[in-house]
Amino acid sequence: MYKYTEQDKKIVKNRTKEFKFQVERRINGDLTEEEFKPLRLMNGLYLQLHAYMLRVAIPYGELSDIQLNKLAEIADKYDKGYGHFTTRQNIQFNWPKLLDVPDILSELAEVEMHAIQTSGNCIRNVSCDHLAGINSEEVEDPRPWCEIIRKWSTFHPEFSFLPRKFKIAVTGSEKDRAAIKVHDIGLKIVKKLGTIGFEVFVGGGQGRSPYVAKKINDFLEKKDLLNYLEAILSVYNELGRRDNIYKARIKILVNELGQEKIKELVDEKFEELSDKSLELNQNEINNIFNFFKLPIEKKTNSKVPIHSDKEYNHWLQQNVINHKIRGHSIVVISLKPPGKPPGDATSSQMRELSKISKDFSYGEIRVTHEQNLILPHILNSNLYELWSRLKKLGLSTPNFGLITDTICCPGLDYCALATARSIPISQKISNHFKEYSVQEKIGDLKIKISGCINACGHHHVGNIGILGLDKNGEESYQITLGGSATEKASIGQIVGPSFSTENLIPAIERILKTYEENKKKNEDFLSAFNRLGIDKFKEDLYK
Amino acid sequence: MAKKLKGEYFYLTANDLKTGSVVYYSKNNWSSDLTNAVKISRDNLAIYEQIAQNHEKECLIVSPFFVELDEGGEIRKMRDKIREKGITFKLNN
Amino acid sequence: MILQRDKVKKNPFQIIQNVDELVEMKKKSILITLDLWEAQKKLITKHKFNLGLEIASDQSLGPIKNDLHYFKLIQFKFITFKDGRPFSLAKKLRRSYNFKNEIRGSGHILPDQYIFLLRCGFDSVEIEEKNLETWLKFLEMDKGIYYQP
Repeated sequence: MYKYTEQDKKIVKNRTKEFKFQVERRINGDLTEEEFKPLRLMNGLYLQLHAYMLRVAIPYGELSDIQLNKLAEIADKYDKGYGHFTTRQNIQFNWPKLLDVPDILSELAEVEMHAIQTSGNCIRNVSCDHLAGINSEEVEDPRPWCEIIRKWSTFHPEFSFLPRKFKIAVTGSEKDRAAIKVHDIGLKIVKKLGTIGFEVFVGGGQGRSPYVAKKINDFLEKKDLLNYLEAILSVYNELGRRDNIYKARIKILVNELGQEKIKELVDEKFEELSDKSLELNQNEINNIFNFFKLPIEKKTNSKVPIHSDKEYNHWLQQNVINHKIRGHSIVVISLKPPGKPPGDATSSQMRELSKISKDFSYGEIRVTHEQNLILPHILNSNLYELWSRLKKLGLSTPNFGLITDTICCPGLDYCALATARSIPISQKISNHFKEYSVQEKIGDLKIKISGCINACGHHHVGNIGILGLDKNGEESYQITLGGSATEKASIGQIVGPSFSTENLIPAIERILKTYEENKKKNEDFLSAFNRLGIDKFKEDLYK
Repeated sequence: MAKKLKGEYFYLTANDLKTGSVVYYSKNNWSSDLTNAVKISRDNLAIYEQIAQNHEKECLIVSPFFVELDEGGEIRKMRDKIREKGITFKLNN
Repeated sequence: MILQRDKVKKNPFQIIQNVDELVEMKKKSILITLDLWEAQKKLITKHKFNLGLEIASDQSLGPIKNDLHYFKLIQFKFITFKDGRPFSLAKKLRRSYNFKNEIRGSGHILPDQYIFLLRCGFDSVEIEEKNLETWLKFLEMDKGIYYQP
């Protein structure tokens, strides 16, 4: 895991001081709200429906046991005893007081954490494949590259007041678990003729105009990564629209100019601006890679304990993944138990998980973009004991990748922008389909729920997407089908008129019935949908 | 602030700047309790808008707006109802 | 008030709005807008002025690419502090166009942006006197430790 250098410590500490000064100036009137807002957002502080909300960065989703324990402490001391893990691998606290935030930041800094650039019109926390460095089909571990990008993008003097927010994701595998094609920049590590470099995608995003990112570089040399990113950001900072907030993301620019033109502009800038001092040398790269060495050294013949407990076996089947080192497993901790808000964890759960990760997983925990947690390095023989401890915490739900493993935004229960609630919908779904046998029969299926068109719940890329709308004061839910955030990314298609809260579950049932009746053997929902087409589902749903 | 409002009566609401909590304007001060909130008629909106602006300048509150009330004097919009009553499901803990 | 790093300095540049003022003016240093420069370049360059050019944050450097040698000062006027284009433009002036004279920020800028401005190639800022202390505080808080070159 990455450890702060003296440089990191000083920068984060200094930022804490700076933010304290900004809060003081806001309170005494030196800063107006209009001025303070972008500054507090750049430090992850929102004003939501009921209260302030602080989004704490978890760079590329990686946490230590000490950090998780601190998050639990903060939840108890400054909040209401829980936190919410987000689709960009961060954590949100929903109830902090403005005056407490400087103290929270000081406490976070003690454990090498911060809230820098978790919001605002700047380069956001870089996100990453949650199986980075532990899956066997990977070209190279993307985490060190995320760290290199994190450093470069933090307090970048030129790119801190962009037209709009800017999100970067990196994967090192063919299989995309980081949703890189719905990010402003997606980087995929590839190997060509024995050399490792990057494929670069640009202009993906969701919101009210969703786009799948376009590839603008087939092979970018490692040493040029930062210069190339600077070129993209520089083009965006100069040409991105600032007249209309809904057209300000780079996806709009890419779409207006076209793939060829944007590539040409970026290449030109790259030629013009390339700075030797930004070129990465192999020494620097190696230094960063050294932080990310696997804590496990040897393969073992450690066996998975056999027990007759049905729940344990379901969990093994659903939430446990092979580690690249033999004798070890990767465990997914579902934060989607039936009836609970997706992505939430209580302080006592976080505290216990911190201990568990120390006991079983070398003190490492990861956050997935699908709002679950991961224990990355579990010796197989520990699996039963681990399961028993997770079960006591209510964290052993065997639903990873299944219909109740929904992504869900906070919706109208928390968010000032939302048009409808989303958490209660997710709760309905997870209660309705809670039987494992039911879910297993449906198979892999991603439901993603947003409470407004801004699409924080990723509905556009849900196999079944649900978008909450306000129809004359009543909540109403539009369904999209066929979306995907994987390497074969696609934007879902609207199936037809929206449904009331009461009719939503029956509508999902009907969609599942169409799938059930028409699927081929072993065909998952998305493949069946792609083969059958939207009309078939529409016909059945509205007849 | 008062543009395009529906109905005849309103509450003035905001967030407390220092804590972020939802507050309603209630006879000379701001309170998180709705019971004493001033029911403002359409004719008096301008007066209360001025109060809100002053209190914003004095760094007491942030994001003030008027909550629309329906014919029965109840909060009209779902968003404002949730904002008043709190989240609509039970918390995990 | 003009602040150059930690020093307050005099501002010899006086802004003029139209060419008539050129003739009346006895001043040596004048600040003109990009629009005026484009319209009256010939006339302006007839006189021996210390020329300053003011570019608004929504304007581009395109029109003056080949005129840079005329200017002792280029001043980027921020329409709002949220519009970060001048950061890129200043960097471009320094890096791509090799502009060596003074670059100044004016308009709606915040002391919170001071270090970013300096790091992008700005030399000075036009500020309100009452905020001087805050601008200096940001300079003082800066420890010169950055992730970027």
